[in-house]
Amino acid sequence: MTDLDDDRLGDLFRAAASDPGAPAPGFDRESVVGASRRVTARRRAAVLGAGLALVAVAGVGTVVSLPSSSSGGAGDASTVAAPMLAPAAPYDSRAEGADRRRPRRASRTPRHRRPRRRPPRRSDPPPASAPTGRTRPCERSSSRCCEVVGAPEAATTDECRTGGERGVNVEVGEGAARGLLTVEYLPPGVTERLVAGALSAPTASGGTVVVSSRPERPGEPAPLADRLPDALRYLAPLL
Amino acid sequence: MDEASEREFAEYFRERRDAVRRTAFLLCGDWHRADDHAQAAFVALHRHWRRIRDRSALDAWMRRTLVRAVVDESRRPWRRERATAEPPADHPGVPSASDAVATRHVLVDGLRSVPPRQRAVLVLRYLDGLDVASTAAVLGCSEGTVKSQTADGLAALRAVLGDALDDLRPAG
Repeated sequence: MTDLDDDRLGDLFRAAASDPGAPAPGFDRESVVGASRRVTARRRAAVLGAGLALVAVAGVGTVVSLPSSSSGGAGDASTVAAPMLAPAAPYDSRAEGADRRRPRRASRTPRHRRPRRRPPRRSDPPPASAPTGRTRPCERSSSRCCEVVGAPEAATTDECRTGGERGVNVEVGEGAARGLLTVEYLPPGVTERLVAGALSAPTASGGTVVVSSRPERPGEPAPLADRLPDALRYLAPLL
Repeated sequence: MDEASEREFAEYFRERRDAVRRTAFLLCGDWHRADDHAQAAFVALHRHWRRIRDRSALDAWMRRTLVRAVVDESRRPWRRERATAEPPADHPGVPSASDAVATRHVLVDGLRSVPPRQRAVLVLRYLDGLDVASTAAVLGCSEGTVKSQTADGLAALRAVLGDALDDLRPAG
């Protein structure tokens, strides 16, 4: 091939590639853009579905302790599938300092494990109640109600609909009120008529997140209804 | 993507679609598969458009995507290619190199017999006109590898086409 220089080879290759009898292009810009959007929506839905399933099933980071609305009794305990639904705890400078020192541990408590005991320090506050025997972590403080790991899943926990919509249903309770907390994600361009009491907000990806709480029986108050705006504020930048 | 990015992509698509198809055709030797590869490369480009900040690197990005797709496909069992110095038994034979139409058939048929990586080097260098350094950047290999694969690819082409290659004449 030494007798063929690069220019002549280039001419030959260009001639070979320029076939006037070649079929017309089988794709246009619209088909490319459509395929790109489908792939993107599919991957985003897969990531979102995995995230929602993780939140709903594994309960990672979902343990929320709710103070009692009136008396702070342990019977008012409830767990929800979103940490943003936790109400602001009463200000405690010691607790704040502890949180600042160990922020991750403070938020990772979803384990049915007996807390590791450490020798009491002189600076520790006296226990609010005298725990005896098998003590649940929630009983250690009178300012906190019972912590429950993972909210019970509803009959239909994770909904995957066509078009990339995703939803999670979790049974929750707040005091005597029990019901169903629903979080839905609607991809960009999809609109849905909101049920009564539902709140929606645009998400970072251009979609919509809808949060609603329904009581177990008609006429009863919906649990966590006053915390839905917090849930929206938490979820919208994440989705 | 926002509207400005969509406009940029549309403009790039309009300018480059045919060139990308031609490159894909010489890489795989079939217009329909070339369409599939070119479309897949444009879809990937559209998905990554915002991440490619250097617009002058778009051509290199497309070539890299295209070559990878064709080479990867050639490795799949159901489409695995076998380089051979002899035409298959049912091959119609090398057509006469007396005109430009024959040039196309001779060269495309000959390229099919060249191993995929060497074929990619030849196409990038002689169809797209890239120099050794640019070809090495697209393929992610050293310049020495490009030089050796160019020599091997041309040798493989000559082994298939023989003197017909010297007799070829470009269109026009």
